[in-house]
Formats: sequence, structure tokens, C-alpha cells
Amino acid sequence: MLKIVIIIISAIFLSNCTDSTEVVVVYTSVDQVFSEPILKDFEQETGIKVKAVYDAEETKSTGVLNRLIAEKDNPQCDVFWSGDPVRTIILQNKGITAAYHSPIADGISEVYRDKDYHWIGFSARARVLLYNKKLIDESEVPQGIFDLTNDKYRGRFGIANPLFGTTTFHMAALFTVLGDEKAKQLLDSLQLNGLVIATSNGDIKRRVLSGEIACGLTDTDDAFEALKESDNVDLVFLDQKGIGSLIIPNTVNMINGSRNVDNAKVLIDYLLSKQTEAKLAKSCAQMPLHKGVKLPEGVFSLDHIVPMKVDYRKTAKKLEEIQDYLKRWSEN
Amino acid sequence: MVRKLVHNELFIIGFAAFFIFAVLPVIYTISITFFNFQSVWANLQELNISTFLLLLKSILLSAFVAFLATTIGSVLAFVLYKTTIRYSSFFKILLLLPLFISPYILAVAWKEGFFLMFGSTLVLASYWGVIIVFISIYTPLSMLIVGNALVNISSEIEDSALLMTSKRHVVLKIVIPLIKPALITSFILIFIFSISEFSVPSYFAVKVFTTEIFTQFSAFYNYSLAILQSVLLVLLCLFLLFAERKYIANAPFLAIGNKGVVFKLYTIEKQKVLLYSILVLWLFVSIFLPLTILVAQSFSGGAMYLVQAINLIKPTILNSFFLAFVSSIIVVFIGFTAAYYNSEHHLIKLAKYFDLLLLFIFAIPSIIFGISLIFFYNQAALSMIYTSYAILIIAFVGKFSFIASKLISNSLKQIPVSLDEAAQIQSIGFYKRLQMLILPLLLPAFFASFVISFIFIVGELGLSIMIYPPGAEIMSVKVYTIMANAPHGLSSAMSLIVFLITLGIIPFFYLLVRPMLNKYHLSK
Repeated sequence: MLKIVIIIISAIFLSNCTDSTEVVVVYTSVDQVFSEPILKDFEQETGIKVKAVYDAEETKSTGVLNRLIAEKDNPQCDVFWSGDPVRTIILQNKGITAAYHSPIADGISEVYRDKDYHWIGFSARARVLLYNKKLIDESEVPQGIFDLTNDKYRGRFGIANPLFGTTTFHMAALFTVLGDEKAKQLLDSLQLNGLVIATSNGDIKRRVLSGEIACGLTDTDDAFEALKESDNVDLVFLDQKGIGSLIIPNTVNMINGSRNVDNAKVLIDYLLSKQTEAKLAKSCAQMPLHKGVKLPEGVFSLDHIVPMKVDYRKTAKKLEEIQDYLKRWSEN
Repeated sequence: MVRKLVHNELFIIGFAAFFIFAVLPVIYTISITFFNFQSVWANLQELNISTFLLLLKSILLSAFVAFLATTIGSVLAFVLYKTTIRYSSFFKILLLLPLFISPYILAVAWKEGFFLMFGSTLVLASYWGVIIVFISIYTPLSMLIVGNALVNISSEIEDSALLMTSKRHVVLKIVIPLIKPALITSFILIFIFSISEFSVPSYFAVKVFTTEIFTQFSAFYNYSLAILQSVLLVLLCLFLLFAERKYIANAPFLAIGNKGVVFKLYTIEKQKVLLYSILVLWLFVSIFLPLTILVAQSFSGGAMYLVQAINLIKPTILNSFFLAFVSSIIVVFIGFTAAYYNSEHHLIKLAKYFDLLLLFIFAIPSIIFGISLIFFYNQAALSMIYTSYAILIIAFVGKFSFIASKLISNSLKQIPVSLDEAAQIQSIGFYKRLQMLILPLLLPAFFASFVISFIFIVGELGLSIMIYPPGAEIMSVKVYTIMANAPHGLSSAMSLIVFLITLGIIPFFYLLVRPMLNKYHLSK
């Protein structure tokens, strides 16, 4: 009996041990279905064991972000791979990120990286309008976000909860680009036109697919998943003749106080590589930030999209300013 | 020299372990929140009228759920435990199935089903959605609690009364008053479960107190306010526990097994059709509908989604079951220690506070408990715990010991005091009495506590996703993180497989303990 207890206790404490020289700990808010294969490939190619903590947009990425903040004084994580720059900038503002100038970052436009290399962007998503072709005629598909205030879309369109995820970021970007007053007018008009607020971008995808709503704002990865699932849906990049579509790069950064700095650098270089961008383009239609990455059929190139001109740092700051307003607005 | 009637070593081990490992982290977090981040006054000022209105709204919602689930559960319990209805065991097992499905998955299934049937989910994306899902999950719990109280009413009482009055009067004037403690317990447990649940209201975009705590935490990173709001929730639950104690002091309920009580069964010739209709209707609504949706979606891509789901879940099974197994054993130990010494609290004064500590951790929102564990254990000296499965075991034991203590405590109350007293007269020592008398009689309650804890732990998500060690493969976390961007069919297939393997392992546990149950003639 005593032997069994000793074996069980050993299993509990030693179950997750690895030779610390051959390991890198990564926390990621990118959906596991896309991030895990990349990390597995990294393990195979480098021999460095990856210990990952995954999260999902459905949980508003509460897990990893709050965990990183709570672990600030004794960090367990080496690398944070985020699905958007906002979370990384929040961490940067709290002193949780560390600078690392990856040589691979030189091939990426400076728009998509922090000037001190506290974070670097790669493979981007964009905000798009996913619509159900059975419910909206091709000729009537909204082309800009202001079109959604039109009476013909009343109660037929949705966005995810604006307090979380890329939707918050989208809102903050609109406030930055349009100015506070105009952005508030837009949001009020959308609300008056029967805007449906869903729990997440994934929920928007589900509702458009099922025909519960005719269209909804979501990210390209969700939209492409919807396209794989059904021929009845399609997507459109909004405001291509106006303010442009918001581009949301993945970001990667080193954690301040990382215990496996060398391995962390190897992983960051790997994630920023063209090879990874090509894989993410294939698996979830993310758009490479490097020039010259071969794109699979159906995946858009950033060269053909008019991007919304935003400074990610300023947008993150704006986000903090408007959170209270967004909460009140979404609860009305 | 006087032989001690009760030795307190077990209590010291159980109480100290629970306090140090599970309670201390929360106290530590609350303390640093109030005294380090901001002043207490600044935090209190953030609790405005809208906070209390929202709390009131959540109380009303949870009270409504608890009332309805207890009412339906009581009707089902009466039909299945107190009548001569055929196939009652079969119905009892089927009706317990919703307990095996995570609330979030059930919410998704309901929403999909509603849309398929009515073309809209407008009704469901409201308080009604939350109420429907909560009721379908918690009614089985109520049925279990009330059912076991019903079989503990001695037939002599009802038979005597039936000589004087009608069946209806006996039920209304004798049976219901006798099971009042069980009804109150059912109400309170379901109330606490539903007021602390986050995933379902969040999925239906319904604002309740827990979603507000979550928003403060994850959108505003306002830890102090989130923790303060959680404290309000805990105070409310502690108040309910006091109320429960006051009203139902020593009555037997929520007991597993009826130790020697002969109970009355009512014949149902005239109402047979009505009662079968009630059972079938409830089965259809709470089991058949959501499960059919899960099955239909799982097979929407032929066997492809199922194969994918099996491959994804396979690496998590061993880890999750090992963790659930070890945690459930500790949960049963803590539950027994709290229950046993609480029943002997006249000998050990501290024992009556054990229950409160168990409830304190049970009622605190998972997100706050998770953050508390991170703050407390993520230190160089404790990293052995923080970076291993030990942290998950501590979390699970903290979260689920309260339920085990309730189950065991009430089985304990059914053991006639005379048995223990007779053994004491024979000068049989404490540990011998425990080993030969108390523990064997509590075996069914231990088994039930183990199984229920096991099911809850396998499906637990809120805590696991906050604290699981990097690189660990945990079933509930994997299902959830994969679900986020997976096709409907794959999500459903994963949920279905988790449901089936959890369900499948229970008979295995039963086979393991059956020799012991047989030895003490407790297998029925």
C-alpha cells in the first residue's frame, strides 16, 4: 500500500518534469487547433520540448493573460504568442515583456512591430464581414461598416462582445480612426438598427452559418472556417474605398525573466519565419507579413487589401480609455 | 487511564491540509488585494448600487432555478422512489445523465436544437435559456437528494396515517414535512451551483453577477473589485449555510442508501399513464434532445469527426482520469473528515468550522480561486507544487470536498448511535471502531461521493484552464480550446466522446468496489 502511495505521489510531482535545458514554455491565445501543429513541428525540427498553455477566444483568453499577469514576479513562461497586439501591449505596459530583436523581424514592416522589439507581428488576420448568401443578395452585401446602419439590415447583423478579444480592438481602432464623437455616433446607430451582440467571433460564425443572422463582423480565420463548412457563406473586406479593414497580426514576445532565454529566442525566430507564415496561411488563411511567401489558393494577400491605418500602441491606449464606454454601450 | 472516544489525528491532518493548501491561498489573495493594491475604502466605494442590483437579479434567477429544479426533481423522485412504477432503476440512471455533460456543452446543444426546431434562438438567448439549461442540469441532483430522503421515511409512519386518512393527505401532511430538510438542501445546493456558474450565462449573453466578476477580471484587469465582488457572493452562500443549519439541524437527507429502513411504496394503477408521460417527457427534454443534437452533429461528416475527436482526446484520457481518480480519493477523505468530526463537534470544537471552510472554497468563483492559487503557489519555494499536477489536485479537492462532505455527513447521521455505543462499551478503540463499523457502513456514501467528484472533476474547466501546468494534456481544457475554432461536428464529437468515456468508467469503478460492498452486504 505504501509503495502505491509513493508511486502516485511521485507521478503527481514528476509527471510534468523535463530536462530544463531542452525546454521552452509558451503561452498562447491563438486557437489550439492552429497553434499546436506549429509548435509540434518546432519540437520535431529543433529537438526543443515545447510546454504549451493554450487558451481560446471563447474564454476571452482570460486564462493566459491573467496568468501571465499573476505570474509577473516569478514568471513560468518564456514566450507569449498572442493572436493580436493588444494583449501583448497590455503586458508590455505592465513590464511583463522583454525586448528581443530577432533578425527575422527585419523582413517585417515596422508598422507591425514594437520599436523596441518588445513584440513583433507576423501572420495577420483581418476583420471581415461574414454573410449568409441565402439571406443577403450579392448586390446588397454591405461594403462598409456604416452601411450596417441601413434599415434593410435591421436586426440581421451582429458583432462579438465588444469588451473582449479582437472586437474590442476593432472598436478601439474605429475610435482612433474616426475620432470619439463619430465612433460613438456609429455605435449608437448600429445599436438602434438592432445590432445583435454575440459571445465571441466563433459565435458570430455559428450564427451566420445557421442563418440566425444574415451577416456579422468577425476575423478572417473564423470566416475561412465558415467557408470550409458551408457554400452558403462568403466574406467581404469592409471599407476598401474608405477607412480600410483592420489588420490584426499575431504577435510574439519574450517574457521578462524568462528561464530559457536561448530556447525562447529560437522559438521566436521560428514563429516569425516565412515557413511558419506559410503554414498559418494554409491552416487558417492568415496573411503573411513577409514578402514572397507563397499563398494557398483562396488566401488573400495584404498587398490587395486596403488596411486601416492604425498605430497599434495608440489603439491599445485608446482601448483602455473606451472600455467603460463600451461596457455601458453593450449593456444597454 | 480513560480511553479517548474520538482521536483527533485524522481531523488535524484533514483540517490542516485543507486549510493550508486550499483556504490559505484565498485568504492570502484577499488580504493582498485589500491591503496592498488599494485601500479597503477605495475598494468598497467601487461597490455601487448597480452592483447590488445585479446581485439581487442573480439571486432571483438562481432562486427561481433552484425552486423549479427542486420541484421537478421532487416530482421525479416521488415517482421513481415512492411508487411501484416499473423500470424505476432504469429511469433513475437515465435521468442522472445530464450530470455527466458540462453545462457549456449542454447550452450549445440546446441552442443548436432550438434553432433547428424553431428557426430562432431569440427566446433562448435570454434569462430563459439560462433557466432551461440550469434546470436540466440540476434537476437530477435534486431528484437524488429528495429520492434518498423519501426512502428514509419508515413505512410505519405512513401506514399508520393511511389507516386514518387519504393518500393525498399523507403525502401533503406527512411525507412532504418529513422531507423538508432534503427540499431545503436541494434548494440551497442548486442555488449555490447556479449563482456561481459562469459559462452558461456568458454563452447566452445574459449579464449576471458572475459575468460581471469575469468582466472586471478579464476586460478591466480590476482584480481588487473582482475579488471584492466574489467576497459578496461567498458571504451570501455562507449565510445560506447558516440558514440551512438552523432549519435542518440533524435531519437525515442527501444520504446514499437506506440502512435498514423499510419504506412505503404507493401503487400507481390509476395514474400510471400520467406518471409514465411525465418521465418520458422529462427524458425527452433533458436527455434525448441535447444528446440527439450532439450525435447528429458528430456524424454530420460521417465517421471523420469521431475519428478526429478520438485522436485529439486520446492523449488526455490517462492524465485526466489519473488526476480525477487521485483527487476524488482525497475529496472523499476530506469529506469524511469534515463530516465525521462535525458530527462529533462537541468533542472537537474546531470541527464545526470545517464545513464553513469547505463551503467558502466551493462558493468562490473558479477564476478567483485559480488566481489565488497562482499568487500563492507561484513562488520559488513552492514551484514543485505549482509546476506539477499537485496544483490541479489542490484545486479540485478545494472545489469539490463540500459536496462529498454533505453526502457523507448525512449517511453518517443514519448510522444508529447505539452501534457505536455498544462498541465503546466493549472497550473497542477509536480506530478499530472506525475500521470495523463506521467505514464499512459508509462505503456506499464513499462510493457515491467518489463517483460524483470524479464526474465533476473530469468536466471541470474554469479552474483547470487557469492553472494547468504548461505542457499538460487535460481533457476538459483540450475540448474547450479545440472547440473554439473547430467545425460544429468535431466539437460535438469531442463532447460526445468525453460523455461516453466518463459514463463508461463508472461501471468499472463499481466492479472495483463491489467485492467490498458485497462483503458488508451493502451492494443493493
